[in-house]
Amino acid sequence: MSSARRHSLGRWLKRRAENVIVVLIAIMFISFLLQIGFRYLLNRPLGWTDEVTVLCWVWVVLWGAAFILSDEDEIRFDIVYAQVPISARRAFTVISSVALVTLFAISLPATWGYVLFMKREKSAYLGMRFDFLYSIYLIFAVVVMIKHARLAWRALRGIAVPGTKVVEAADTP
Amino acid sequence: MTLSPFTLCVVILVVLAILGLPIGLSMICASIFYLLAAHLDLSTAAEQILNGLFNSYVLLAVPLFILAADLMNSGSLTDRLLKFCLVLVGRFRGGLGHVNVVANIIFAGMSGSAIADAVGIGRIIIGMMTRDGRYPVGYAAAITASAAIIGPIIPPSIPMVVYALVSDTSIGYLFLGGVVPGLMLGIGFMVINTIIARRRNYPVEPPVPLRDIPRITRDAFPALMLPVVLLVGIYGGVMTPTEGAAAAALYALLASTLIYRSLSFRQLYIVLLSSAKATTSVGMLIAGALVFNYVVTIENIPLSVQHFIAGFQLTPFAFLLLVNAILLALGCLLEGTTVLLVIVPILIPPAKMLGVDLVHFGVVVVVNIMIGLLTPPFGLLLFVVANMTKQPLMVIVREALPFIVMAIVVLAIITFVPQTVLWLPTLMGYKH
Repeated sequence: MSSARRHSLGRWLKRRAENVIVVLIAIMFISFLLQIGFRYLLNRPLGWTDEVTVLCWVWVVLWGAAFILSDEDEIRFDIVYAQVPISARRAFTVISSVALVTLFAISLPATWGYVLFMKREKSAYLGMRFDFLYSIYLIFAVVVMIKHARLAWRALRGIAVPGTKVVEAADTP
Repeated sequence: MTLSPFTLCVVILVVLAILGLPIGLSMICASIFYLLAAHLDLSTAAEQILNGLFNSYVLLAVPLFILAADLMNSGSLTDRLLKFCLVLVGRFRGGLGHVNVVANIIFAGMSGSAIADAVGIGRIIIGMMTRDGRYPVGYAAAITASAAIIGPIIPPSIPMVVYALVSDTSIGYLFLGGVVPGLMLGIGFMVINTIIARRRNYPVEPPVPLRDIPRITRDAFPALMLPVVLLVGIYGGVMTPTEGAAAAALYALLASTLIYRSLSFRQLYIVLLSSAKATTSVGMLIAGALVFNYVVTIENIPLSVQHFIAGFQLTPFAFLLLVNAILLALGCLLEGTTVLLVIVPILIPPAKMLGVDLVHFGVVVVVNIMIGLLTPPFGLLLFVVANMTKQPLMVIVREALPFIVMAIVVLAIITFVPQTVLWLPTLMGYKH
């Protein structure tokens, strides 16, 4: 695949990942409203809305951390990082990324086992299996490892290191 | 000498954070290392994060309040609110500075995030203040950043939701406890603005014609009603603060689409996406703190700190003074949510032991952390306004200095006169 095509495929995938998180946050919002409406206006509390909102929250956080957050959106302590020259930043990135990939890789088998083990449990209202609900953590762990392996690789090859922007009004339009 | 797994865990956390790894991920990595070194089950990290996120119902208020503030900023609620404030206080010397503070006080009643307030209000008022060079850009940026800290002190408040989670206190009473301190800050900032405006001869706004006032008030009315709806809803016992957050978002959505007709479908999508992003950034920090706090708990750190502090035989006030000094110093270096999630849980058991009221403690801590958003080198609000105005950070810091001093004076007052915080919650039935 040419690099241009790979690039546009990457962009297309990112858009779809954004669609997913927007749907998740919209579902969360709507079920919350249903919950309030049914409880106070119709006096008939719904149980499943609680469950759906909490599920969406867990998925928004981990899905977002895996696919949506760019380096600029992350909350980090960059007083030192921002002060040092590019070569040192490369070294910083390589060390921290390698540490992350190593530690996540070591814990991955046990995490895998834990998520599979959760198949015995089902959610209280919707009866969804917890191994399916919790699988987002595995996705998160694997994607974060790939992201940081790539960061380390690019820093080693001297292509790029994460920027130093602290805030880009990320939480407002 | 061999280092304990916990010592190594803290060292790794600090090193990774300094190397520039995001703080949430640094906490997860350090905790995995701890589990490895202490020969504990490695899946505990995933278990703590998943169960923690799954069972923290109150945290849902965080994404919903972010969504509500984003919706208000993208609709024209903010513009209309500012026009209304111009009618109220524009005619005094330094009028736009007062408008800035008053708009933040009203906006604080609907939003729980200082960053959202600074961006939403600042985007418009900084332009108004600096047009034709009426106010120096540095001053406009400084007063915008300073006034924004009122947002999370007057309810609703995202940091108070996070504090409620780590301290097991009632969100409702915490919210009430913030009202008086928030108003004190607002008045304090207006005093500073008056003094500076007199000295530098800042302009007065032309009076708004009398016949326009009913129209401007009517335009702003739906925006002004939101804090009322929220307060009556939450304290009338109709809804929990979390549900209040959803109601606020719905209200902002309806007002923007039906009344003000200023929100397209495309904009709504962008608002949802940016709220999701902000939710994820904060959520990762919470996820990291969930595992790290688990490690801290099995190591019995809060108990050790409690014994350590008991050794000094501090009075409650001396303890609060010490906490304020520590948090102000940390606030210069660390981001507020990190302090709330990592440092504050360790301070809660000693506070309890010394008989410090936890609602009082929470409000003091939140005000303190908000001041941290204004202090260099790591004051998030400073970066936000510097980014908006393209001013060097130092210029803004110099202009913000009188406001920071005023905020510290208010912090001292609410620390030593607990009634300023507890009066309103007690009136509404809080027993301490």
